Amino acid sequence: MLKLITWPRNAWSIFDELESLRAGMRKTFDGEGSDDEGRRVLSWRSRPTYPLMNVWSSPDGIIVDAEVPGVDPKDVEVSVSGDQLTIRGKVNPERVDRADTYYRCERLAGDFERTLQLPFRAVAEAVKANYRNGILRLTVPRSEAEKPRKIAVEAA
Amino acid sequence: MKQTGQIEKSVVSTDADAIVPQVELESTYVPDVDIREEKGVITVLADMPGVDQQSVDVTVENNVLTVEGRVRTEAPAGYELVGREYDTGRFRRDFTIADTVDTAAIKARMKNGVLEVLLPRREQAKARKIEIAG
Repeated sequence: MLKLITWPRNAWSIFDELESLRAGMRKTFDGEGSDDEGRRVLSWRSRPTYPLMNVWSSPDGIIVDAEVPGVDPKDVEVSVSGDQLTIRGKVNPERVDRADTYYRCERLAGDFERTLQLPFRAVAEAVKANYRNGILRLTVPRSEAEKPRKIAVEAA
Repeated sequence: MKQTGQIEKSVVSTDADAIVPQVELESTYVPDVDIREEKGVITVLADMPGVDQQSVDVTVENNVLTVEGRVRTEAPAGYELVGREYDTGRFRRDFTIADTVDTAAIKARMKNGVLEVLLPRREQAKARKIEIAG
């Protein structure tokens, strides 16, 4: 299901920016680290991408659909800082505590955090988040000043 | 034994419209599942984001449990897709159920894109503590 598409017509691709952000993180977390108790910790690059996102764009703003099935909306935090949009939360936390016998564990469980680079500065109060059927839809409008405006070309 | 040329001719001359393979316009995906058991009930949790209660089917036939879900894709009007990390399509997965499961008592629930299927074991298959007489 994972398909990363960069659209050649667009000069800006949201995932190019995300990859450069991730490459920067990779340098910081390079190699296998160990946490305070000496246990081996997964390096950043070993962590799977979660949640997967589809992004739509229009002159009015951006819409991000993130696949986060089965989370409690209280466990998900959406924050905006300048031109960065961050989704953070916990998925399937009860799996860590349960004492049942698990025959199969394919779903992700644990903390997740993902940051998207936006092509404009977002206004935190104007961001709308809607969670339905496991899809988190974030509507991030452009501010009036950042909306594209047609500029008339005058004949010389 | 017919020669190759003759066999080809007999195949081509059948009615071409008698059977036409369907072109699947939608991809089918396998949902990730967690399977656990507690107190004689097996629980299957399947991730099917974008699927609601009306678009999911759970069927049991001959000890095979099939879960199938259809995704309602809603591309927002007036917007252009600029990045796609997941495709949307149909979800489907089959499971073989042991005889120790009471297929008549299977229950299913759909919430937040996760399908929960509860499969209770038959009474006699449940673990029972046996009292030891002194």
